Amino acid sequence: MDKENWIFPYLRQYRGLFALAILLGSLTILFGGALMFTSGYLISKAATQPESILMIYVPIVGVRAFGIGRAVLSYVERLTGHQFILKILSEMRVRLYKIIEPQALFLRSRVRTGDILGVLADDIEHLQDFYLKTLFPSIISLVIYTVILICTGLFSIPFAILLAVLIGLLIFVGPIISYIYMKTKNEQLKRGRNRLYQQFTDTIFGISDWIFSGKYATFIQRYETQEHQLLELETKKHSFVNWRDVMNQIVLGIIVVLAIYWANEQTVGGEFSPTMIAACGLVALSLVESFLPIAGAVSETSSYQDSLKRLEAIQAESSHPWIEADGWKDSLDLSQVTIEINHLSFGYPSETPLLDDFSLKIGQGEKIAIIGRSGSGKSTLLKLIQGALVPTRGEVLINGMNAHELASTVPKLMAVLNQKPYLFNTSVMNNIRLGNPEATDEEVYEVAKMVQLHQMIMQLPKGYETNMHETGQRFSGGERQRIALARILLQKTPIVIMDEPTVGLDPITEANLLATIFDTLKGKTIIWVTHHLIGVEKMDRILFLEKGKITMDGSHQQLLKSEERYRRLYALDRPLYRSKW
Amino acid sequence: MDKALFSYKGIKSVLAGLAILTAIQGAIIIIQAYFLADAISSLFGGDLFANVFKKLIIFFLALVVRQLLTVWKRNIAYRFAARTSKEFRESLLQKLFQLGPRFVKEEGSGQTVTLVMEGIMKFRRYLELILPKLMNSAMIPVMICIFIFFVNIRSAVILALAVPILIAFMILLGLAAKVKADRQYESYQMLSNHFVDSLRGLETLKYLGLSRQHINKIILVSERYRRATMGTLRIAFLSSFALDFFTMLSIATVAVFLGMDLINGKMELRPALTILILAPEYFLPIREVGADYHATLDGKEAGKKIQEILDKESLQQKQEPIPLWKSTSTFSVEGVSVHFPDSDRPALHDIQFSVSGSKKIGVIGASGAGKSTLIDILSGFLAPSSGEFQINGKKLTTLSQLNWQSQITYIPQHPYIFHDTVLNNIRFYDPEATMKEIEEAAERAGLTEVIRSLPRGFETIIGEGGRSLSGGQEQRIALARAFLGNRPIIMLDEPTAHLDIETEYELKETMLQLFKGKLVFFATHRLHWMLDMDLIIVLDQGKIVEIGTHEQLIGQKSTYYQLFKTQMRGI
Repeated sequence: MDKENWIFPYLRQYRGLFALAILLGSLTILFGGALMFTSGYLISKAATQPESILMIYVPIVGVRAFGIGRAVLSYVERLTGHQFILKILSEMRVRLYKIIEPQALFLRSRVRTGDILGVLADDIEHLQDFYLKTLFPSIISLVIYTVILICTGLFSIPFAILLAVLIGLLIFVGPIISYIYMKTKNEQLKRGRNRLYQQFTDTIFGISDWIFSGKYATFIQRYETQEHQLLELETKKHSFVNWRDVMNQIVLGIIVVLAIYWANEQTVGGEFSPTMIAACGLVALSLVESFLPIAGAVSETSSYQDSLKRLEAIQAESSHPWIEADGWKDSLDLSQVTIEINHLSFGYPSETPLLDDFSLKIGQGEKIAIIGRSGSGKSTLLKLIQGALVPTRGEVLINGMNAHELASTVPKLMAVLNQKPYLFNTSVMNNIRLGNPEATDEEVYEVAKMVQLHQMIMQLPKGYETNMHETGQRFSGGERQRIALARILLQKTPIVIMDEPTVGLDPITEANLLATIFDTLKGKTIIWVTHHLIGVEKMDRILFLEKGKITMDGSHQQLLKSEERYRRLYALDRPLYRSKW
Repeated sequence: MDKALFSYKGIKSVLAGLAILTAIQGAIIIIQAYFLADAISSLFGGDLFANVFKKLIIFFLALVVRQLLTVWKRNIAYRFAARTSKEFRESLLQKLFQLGPRFVKEEGSGQTVTLVMEGIMKFRRYLELILPKLMNSAMIPVMICIFIFFVNIRSAVILALAVPILIAFMILLGLAAKVKADRQYESYQMLSNHFVDSLRGLETLKYLGLSRQHINKIILVSERYRRATMGTLRIAFLSSFALDFFTMLSIATVAVFLGMDLINGKMELRPALTILILAPEYFLPIREVGADYHATLDGKEAGKKIQEILDKESLQQKQEPIPLWKSTSTFSVEGVSVHFPDSDRPALHDIQFSVSGSKKIGVIGASGAGKSTLIDILSGFLAPSSGEFQINGKKLTTLSQLNWQSQITYIPQHPYIFHDTVLNNIRFYDPEATMKEIEEAAERAGLTEVIRSLPRGFETIIGEGGRSLSGGQEQRIALARAFLGNRPIIMLDEPTAHLDIETEYELKETMLQLFKGKLVFFATHRLHWMLDMDLIIVLDQGKIVEIGTHEQLIGQKSTYYQLFKTQMRGI
């Protein structure tokens, strides 16, 4: 349980800072009270017209000290609180990263939109509000509560008990009722809002269909009706808050009147001098006011629950633990790598297998194209070769070793060029150098020249130091792939896996990119998943996959000779081919 | 201060109402302070509690009434904010549909959704917060200060002087913080986005074998971010420190001077105590202006952003009657150009062609040649910068005409599948269609097998979050919509670019069936489609470089011929 908690472990870890923030926060409020107390005392004392100003010298100094002290304390408190929260945020980021990293290759298939990662990052930011806006103020008010009770208890136990009850209304009863009331309301609101969010997103993505259908007015009407229902809920919340605030003020008024009554009684009894009446009245006013925001802060806690739940869920779901130590297989010969796939099957229980008794041998330097529809098992095959999945039956051997046991050695063996290579928000130089962090500038220039980007990069305003995202628009799809290719060249792996790197490129760009790819990857094993037949002439073997099995297999020339289906498909990519055939 | 605030409908009566209530509230605050001071000083003077009790009751009632007035003011602001934001939202939604998919794409779909859903909410919150605050800070301190002036001039002067000093300091410190933040902005942005960037690129890092070491970088960057943030906060918090400091200092100074006057017998306890209780009340509205700073700023920004969109020129001009497209209809594009503000080269330049009846027109060219822009213009998603159209001889400046768009079936690269049943997705354009018609459309689109394999057949939920379909199946849903609607014009924008060749091959048969007897505009870089087109428009850098049939263009041995040759040559 503890492992999954995103709040308390951090309190324990940074208890020093936490305690300091609480202490400073409490002192800030107490100084504010003390300021009102001493100034009340000061002018009452002055009203007795003592002979010398020296008689009120101490309260004068007190008033100034508490006034300035309050301002300073509140400044230091805010800094301490943020220091605390930023440290926690650092820890949380590391923790989230450790959860997500092992699942990196599976995330895309599991979650709907790639943006879930952004959402998780935001969730962590949300939790900082929980600390700053709810947790700190609540604990601080408990401290103030205790201080008030002890101070009054020194003089009168019954009055202390009365205060305990009355202030208890403000910091226990009010917040608890608010929390319960707001929780259901907030949940209803959130459900409504999420539903609306989904509907609206759906509409915006399908906006052209709505326009062509000519019936968007009905949508707007429907949307507004739902918004109206939500507004009614919010109005209920709004008036609840209003009445809660009125109740709070009533309690505040009662406490102030009682404080004055009690101070007066003490004066009559001779315990206090009359100067204490003003002091007690004013301090009550000032301190009790600090309890008023608690109900609001506590009742909004439910809005952090979602963030917490999401973070806990992603942790609970993570099937692959973070591995601290790197397993490194020294024995691998990187110059000659053979991939052997024997009777490989893979599938999830109770589903039709994605791969079924699949065998294939790929020697060093062989070039293989794999073609198939979506769902034919192409991506599963790639993941199995990368050792990211464990076969249900059969084996994937790389130089005789099971692929899934090679773990972090895999990136030394095979590089991946996929559909949308991710370019990081840093310089072009750094982006290319990711392939090999030890590469010198010259080596980076070298690979950039090989992928024919050097000229283009040199013309950028800051050359290789230009930030990738500033020029995000300037790099076309083909150029982005070339940067990814340059990275791979630095990675110097014997095998390159290509997962449809040319989807969406126009034919000329595609042809040029493929020419560069095949030119620069000479001698390496290439496993290329492609969606059409441009460039397949260069491959040693073309495999057609359907439902986890090979349906056609051979070189371009062989298939052209023997397979009618292949000829038909080829004619689609070479429209004039049929006229010459 | 936000000038736009005063342009909203009904703001004047709202402000007037708030002003009256605030004036009453100001008076109540003074009454509350006076009777509290009165009660305390009477007790101090040795009066019996029973005699003073009445005064305390008045204090208590004033406290409650004051809060009730706050509630009343809040409700006025709440209702106004709800009404105004509703109007904003309605116009915004209307506008979004008028601006169309091009605008949504430029803004980003996610951004647009966020703006409508959250932007409006922030804007509402802003209106709700700002109006009472504005009134309070404009009226209450003045009222209190005037009252104090008549009681004790020196206190009033101290309080009056404190405000400009306080504001001056806050501005100075605010500027200093801004300078520091600006200076750090770039590294700041980089640092704060680093984590999201890392998570998004995690797959790539993993392939490169760097994902494990990267955690050290995350720790390092997080720490640097923390230090940078703390540096900025140290200065940013100074402005609220100044606020606190001067407030507290003024109250303390007032208290000390009052004490002096009391010692010297120049003053009595009651007025002195009244002033002391009023002093924090004097500063309260000013301090509240700074509270909810971010909520206010966000809401203001959102309001500005929404207003910008509302001010955009919408595409829909005067709606013209356009008769249904027939085999005798004619359509021509005359000298149409499109300039985008952020580009010096026109996206389309002097486009000129005419077609009639049921022709199939292929549009071809490299990326960036203007294929999609042309389809968008023809679909009415974009108004040309110059030039015009003629339909059956009738002149039109834009095709954003409901009567034109209702004749079009539009099939993009990724047709959108709504989160709904297969049935509702197919009959999206024709909700009235009978089951028999829908089944027939599905059959013609080659969906029958697919639907049969779904767990709940036509009732299966598809789209985001529902059962996922392959790219080919999504296209077939779009084709079924087209078969069902049987609209006379079809626009296609790269419908098969992302599909594998076998799927494309199978779809081709279905699509050619659909094209029969219709006016078709087909933008693609898949050359094989051109052999089935009646007319081919070859675009290069926004210009029509060639136009004609396949045979003619091959014969010309120019751009079109080169395109084919590239493919034939292979790589």
